[in-house]
Amino acid sequence: MTDQAMSDQAMSDRAVDRGMTAAAGERGRFRLGRLNVEVRREAGAAWRAFLTAASVALGLGLSAAILVAAGVPAANLVDELLVQTLFDGQNLHAVLFQAAPLMLLGLAAAMAFRVRFWNLGLEGQMIFGGIGATAVSLAGVGPESLRLPMMGLAAIVFGMAWTSVPLLLKLKVGVNEIISTLLLNYVAMNLLFHLLYGAWKDPRDGFPHSPAFAPFETLPTIAFDLSAALVVALAAVAFCVYLLARSRAAIYMRFVEASPSAARALGVPVAGVTIFAVLLSGALASLAGFVIVSGQEGRLTQSFFHGYGVSGVLIAFLARSNPLAAAIVATLMATLYVAGQNLQVFYAIPGAMVQLIQALVVICVAASDFLVRHRVRWVR
Amino acid sequence: MIDFLVSWIANTPGFAAPYALAALGLIVSERAGVLSLGAEGFMLVGAVIGVGMILSFGMPPLPAMVAAMVAAALVSTLFAALVVWLKINQVIAGLVMVFFCQGATSLIGSQYGWTNRPFTGLPKIELGPLANVPVLGPILAAQDVVIYATPAIFLGVVYVLFRTHTGLRLRAVGESPEAADAAGIDVSGVRFLSVMAGASLIGLAGAYISVGSAKIWVEDMTSGRGWIAVALVIFARWSPWRALAGAILFGAIEALVPKLAAAGVRLPQYLMLMTPYLATLGVMIWIAAARRGAAPDEPGALGVPHVREERR
Repeated sequence: MTDQAMSDQAMSDRAVDRGMTAAAGERGRFRLGRLNVEVRREAGAAWRAFLTAASVALGLGLSAAILVAAGVPAANLVDELLVQTLFDGQNLHAVLFQAAPLMLLGLAAAMAFRVRFWNLGLEGQMIFGGIGATAVSLAGVGPESLRLPMMGLAAIVFGMAWTSVPLLLKLKVGVNEIISTLLLNYVAMNLLFHLLYGAWKDPRDGFPHSPAFAPFETLPTIAFDLSAALVVALAAVAFCVYLLARSRAAIYMRFVEASPSAARALGVPVAGVTIFAVLLSGALASLAGFVIVSGQEGRLTQSFFHGYGVSGVLIAFLARSNPLAAAIVATLMATLYVAGQNLQVFYAIPGAMVQLIQALVVICVAASDFLVRHRVRWVR
Repeated sequence: MIDFLVSWIANTPGFAAPYALAALGLIVSERAGVLSLGAEGFMLVGAVIGVGMILSFGMPPLPAMVAAMVAAALVSTLFAALVVWLKINQVIAGLVMVFFCQGATSLIGSQYGWTNRPFTGLPKIELGPLANVPVLGPILAAQDVVIYATPAIFLGVVYVLFRTHTGLRLRAVGESPEAADAAGIDVSGVRFLSVMAGASLIGLAGAYISVGSAKIWVEDMTSGRGWIAVALVIFARWSPWRALAGAILFGAIEALVPKLAAAGVRLPQYLMLMTPYLATLGVMIWIAAARRGAAPDEPGALGVPHVREERR
């Protein structure tokens, strides 16, 4: 059903303008006129850019209205949200810090979307990444100097193993991956709780989080006080850009995205390409989990993954599955996260507000897509 | 042993009702061709509004649940506008709606101070002397009013869907919007109203979780039941009665865990909490393996937007 929906979407992008009209309010006796909706081939780049900017502005405007209603003084909004977040050194660091996992998650979702696999299990894959890294830390595998790379590697292996479950279920049995990946998130979450409330509980304070990582197990800060997490994320962006621009796999992925059945008929190894892209997606998501656990939290915590999964999907959607665009959107999203944290501290606005703002912006951008694909005119 | 079985089965309807009602709501909108992945979000809206009406406006439980249905239907107009009018990809729109509702409900809940405040909620009603009948009494005659009403709601929806002109139009729109359009049916209108009608049932399911079972509002308290209901509909192959049977099965599985714990069986708590999700996954695998190669059961145009200008 979703494959159909997606191909329909693709069709409508390319649909030829047949000049037919849809009438609105035809039944009214006193007709003022009617809306004439035409499907168009492709909107100009300038119109697209304008629409996207306008819809982001509309989404943020609606969010601002909600914030004012929730008790944030209107006069302080611009200052708090934009000036303080982007032009304050400390906050700018926080934004770049926050951008790293979001970039990885945006890439993860984008890679899977490119082979028509709805990977909605990003959070579960993050959890497995975190569990893999923590397992290495707890078992004390390898010498101290190699500990951090081994944690990252374990995160990737664990995440890919977890991702292979819905992948194989889809390829071998035909289980819809939308549902299976969503359900597996809850399984992974309960496994995390099982570990944190049981064997992995911190013996020092008895709280349900793992013992703190040693200094050599946390991602270091490098030049300009920036976290190594950002280096990992940017390397992943570069890898994906290169992969999509230069590799044979990318050409195959484009075939599979356009039409799996046609690709199969042309001799493209559809299953192999799907497995490659989805496992890459899982690896990127688990790397995001590793980056948060090792770079931000310094230990495995109960809710380090919370809300990131949908953010990743939304970033990929806004970036139209383009890795470079995903990096930019992720950075903007990170700005929102940091602004949200400041709102939480200064005005006791719940963290859920960030979620709400993301949803509003995406709703507005998605809605503007209609105006990209259709020309609407008022005719008398 | 018999006591254990009776109390387990007597607890099952309380766990089954939200699945049943949510799945029924999903069937209504999916039969009209709209994949309502936002169900998890609509359930949250129903849950928080039901609680809010009781805590802030002193409403009795039943009117509060009706208000919750209305609220869920109103929120669903946003989803319907996105997918029916603006033809946005239904998976993305559904996900965004869930995200939107999670954010909005926790914001509302904390702004109005509804979070973590227990209240009386929906009472169990014992049907006179019937409730004292051994074995069957506690199972069939000592439930709350929503559970008594659920079979009637199913009958009503099935009647409308399969025995009336309205239902025929709805299913026509879901099977073949082009043909329905040619026959003079307002495809967008029917789909819009089906999404709203479905969402009101899904909202009732959510309100039942907060007002009927838990008697408290906690952020994200539906914890994935909306997704399970989506899977349940696939399992039921878009048939309301099979969905009801599936809901009872899932309710029984979910009711078993606390009963076992109460009976003194030592179980790893968090691994046990995985059971509804693993059971759902198991059922999905089973149905996918069993139906492989068979004719698809899903409504012909499920998830496909109807754009008249692209008529083929």
